[in-house]
Amino acid sequence: MSGPLSSPLGTAVFSRRSLLAAALAGTALLTAACTGSDGDAADAVTPEQVDQLAAQVQVQEQLVSAYDQALAADPSLAAVAGPLAEQARAQLERLRAAAPGSTPSAAASTGAASTGAAAVEAAGARSWLRTQVTAAAAAHTAACPGFTGGRAALLGSIAAGLRGQQGQLA
Amino acid sequence: MADDGTTSTSASPTAAEDAALQEALAAAHAAVWGYGVVGAALPAEAREPVVAAERAHQDLRDQLTALLTSRQADPVDDEGGYALPFPVLSAGDAAALAVTLEEGASVAWTWVLDQATERSTRELAVAALTAAELRAVGWRAQAGRTPVTTPFPGLPA
Repeated sequence: MSGPLSSPLGTAVFSRRSLLAAALAGTALLTAACTGSDGDAADAVTPEQVDQLAAQVQVQEQLVSAYDQALAADPSLAAVAGPLAEQARAQLERLRAAAPGSTPSAAASTGAASTGAAAVEAAGARSWLRTQVTAAAAAHTAACPGFTGGRAALLGSIAAGLRGQQGQLA
Repeated sequence: MADDGTTSTSASPTAAEDAALQEALAAAHAAVWGYGVVGAALPAEAREPVVAAERAHQDLRDQLTALLTSRQADPVDDEGGYALPFPVLSAGDAAALAVTLEEGASVAWTWVLDQATERSTRELAVAALTAAELRAVGWRAQAGRTPVTTPFPGLPA
């Protein structure tokens, strides 16, 4: 037998992964596209998209802050939520790398993003955190189709990853 | 004209998108076939998620076939047979194969997101990618993998 389990899910997939990695790895190409320099037309962004991407960075910053707050309120969540928090941070870093001119917001740098839960109660921390993850996933899912190229792929991937996290906090 | 406002002098403004959709269709064909193997390796009482996953991939296969046909593209057929990436001899192997199938689908749909010019295609792709990752989370747990979640489904870690 031979077929796609060894081709589309194998060699061809990895070549596409490499292309995506090249499209997403650094800011140079993204910046060039944003400023109208040579680059992949699909990765060009409008000023509105720059603002929208900045908004998605902020959504992710708030989520990372929410993880910190929930873990501080209920340390027993660490086993489950600790690894998820690390994944959320990795997502934030890649989003920032894809967002032209992105810098950590004041809220993120102070660890006090406005998640609407200044005082998270230990008893409800898990449920509250799940709500924050759900909201962030929904925001990225809604934003994703408004982008093209690598940014659409990145937002869609992060949204899917957060949906996976959501179930772990049920 | 694509919905991003671009025009093209080529025959089809959605040529790159269509090529990515063909890859997603090939992944759906492979998943439908692969879940047959997964189901055969699991006891009857554990097959409900297999049936649901197979149906989901069948639905996507049919949707993609219709979409490509509407664009005068010739949808790729399934293969007569597929090479398994490893022997499937146990329930754990079956879960691991299901993870491979869903992660393959995730790569294909992420590529669609990267290549799509039509907003409606990106909406379809993000929904399909999310569904594939949710299934993958369940199968990773059954396969004993940790962590069961991944931050970047379909993209390099």
